[in-house]
Amino acid sequence: MPISEIMNSGILWVFCLLVVSIVLFQGVVFVRSAYQARSSVGMTEQEARSAMKTGAIAAIGPALGNIIIAVSLMTLIGNPLTMMRSAIIGSSATESLGAQMASSAYGTELGTADFGPEAFTTIAWTLCIGGTGWLLVTFFFTKSLGSFQKKITARKNGTKKMVVISTAAMLGAFGYFAANEAVKSSSHTLVILTSIGITIITLLAANKLQKNWLKEWALGFAIVGGLTVGYFIG
Amino acid sequence: MAKTAEQIAVQEQVIETQEQTFEAFQTNAHFWGRLTIGCVIVLSAALPLYLSFVKGYHPGWQAIFAAFVAYIALVGFAWVIEPVSYYATLGVSGTYLSFLTGNIANMCLPSAAAAQHVIGADPGTRKGEVAATLAIAAASFMNIAVLIPVILAGSYILSVIPESVQAAFTYIIPAIFGGMMTQLAMKKPLFGVIGIVFGILMTQLPIPVFFKGLVCMFLTVIICVLLENYQTSKTTTEGEMIHE
Repeated sequence: MPISEIMNSGILWVFCLLVVSIVLFQGVVFVRSAYQARSSVGMTEQEARSAMKTGAIAAIGPALGNIIIAVSLMTLIGNPLTMMRSAIIGSSATESLGAQMASSAYGTELGTADFGPEAFTTIAWTLCIGGTGWLLVTFFFTKSLGSFQKKITARKNGTKKMVVISTAAMLGAFGYFAANEAVKSSSHTLVILTSIGITIITLLAANKLQKNWLKEWALGFAIVGGLTVGYFIG
Repeated sequence: MAKTAEQIAVQEQVIETQEQTFEAFQTNAHFWGRLTIGCVIVLSAALPLYLSFVKGYHPGWQAIFAAFVAYIALVGFAWVIEPVSYYATLGVSGTYLSFLTGNIANMCLPSAAAAQHVIGADPGTRKGEVAATLAIAAASFMNIAVLIPVILAGSYILSVIPESVQAAFTYIIPAIFGGMMTQLAMKKPLFGVIGIVFGILMTQLPIPVFFKGLVCMFLTVIICVLLENYQTSKTTTEGEMIHE
């Protein structure tokens, strides 16, 4: 049996389908339960809808960005495994690196003639078991993190402190991510500056014109603007 | 206007029910979050086991072990660091959602932060957590909706997109991070400056790569908390002085 048939066999599609349906199922359950809790945290129905819309719009860019990597990965490790690994934990970028490392550990290269079912199985082991690291940590430790947060917020000014810590943690993380991209090349720096500029303009305009929908699109505009600049200078 | 005892009692009751509802939301999240993640863990183990022992393609433990060690060196630190450090923004339900969906830094976090910004909810609050939950779930649906046609017709789609446009796609990541950073910093510009200064510093320092993000985050949190404490104490002393 040729390797491409093994990689795209029916059983693998069944695994892929099961995983994707679990992800969708989880999403539906959480949206339902968030809607039930919405009024207890002072969120109007309009705000809830706006939150979902914003989330969906903000995800378009990243999802499209994954396509290019996913497609190149598909030809190498087959469609179901690519779908399974891109739909659940792991980003296409990490997975393609993992696939490369696994095939070289077996002593072959991705996409070459001697890439056989055993090499493919090595990749499946590495990516599938490798991905469960995050899942296991989430499975076992989210509860403890929850109680830790409760302890902080129970203190005087606790919620305010939590806001400061959360905001600062995010800005620290993205400060590093952005700086790390910016130092890659002058084109990267220019793209970042463009997207910063577009975001500031969009958000200021949204406040000035009192148009909340503009805020929902801010990240989308920034990505399109950044890509346009990247297209002309890259 | 003074409130009657009855009004206060009613108000207290409302607050109590709100507490209970939110508590129930989190308990629910723990249950369904663990159940779904548990199922995926089992499926993740079953797939390679099936290939190795049902189909008989076992590559030998040595190859698996070697590949696995290399992969751990790449992502092992992220297993622990990511769930812990993103927790403050994602909350309980957001953590379960994000770590099942993946693409956390480039998709889930930006979606959550954008939604919190739009409806004016602070990260780390209850409203922020519910907003993050809705946004990440929507992002996860969008991701799958985009992926399905691609998986089914992927190579065709890629052949229609011109090379030059594909090359520009490498700039998606810096564009996301720039926009994200700004959106978050609009509320606390000073925090943003601190974050970016430490970020630039990190790129120049000889620390192992997987620690850089964490160190940057840690330093930013410490400085911002100290700064905030200093400002609060300053305003309270000023307030006291006015009183006198």
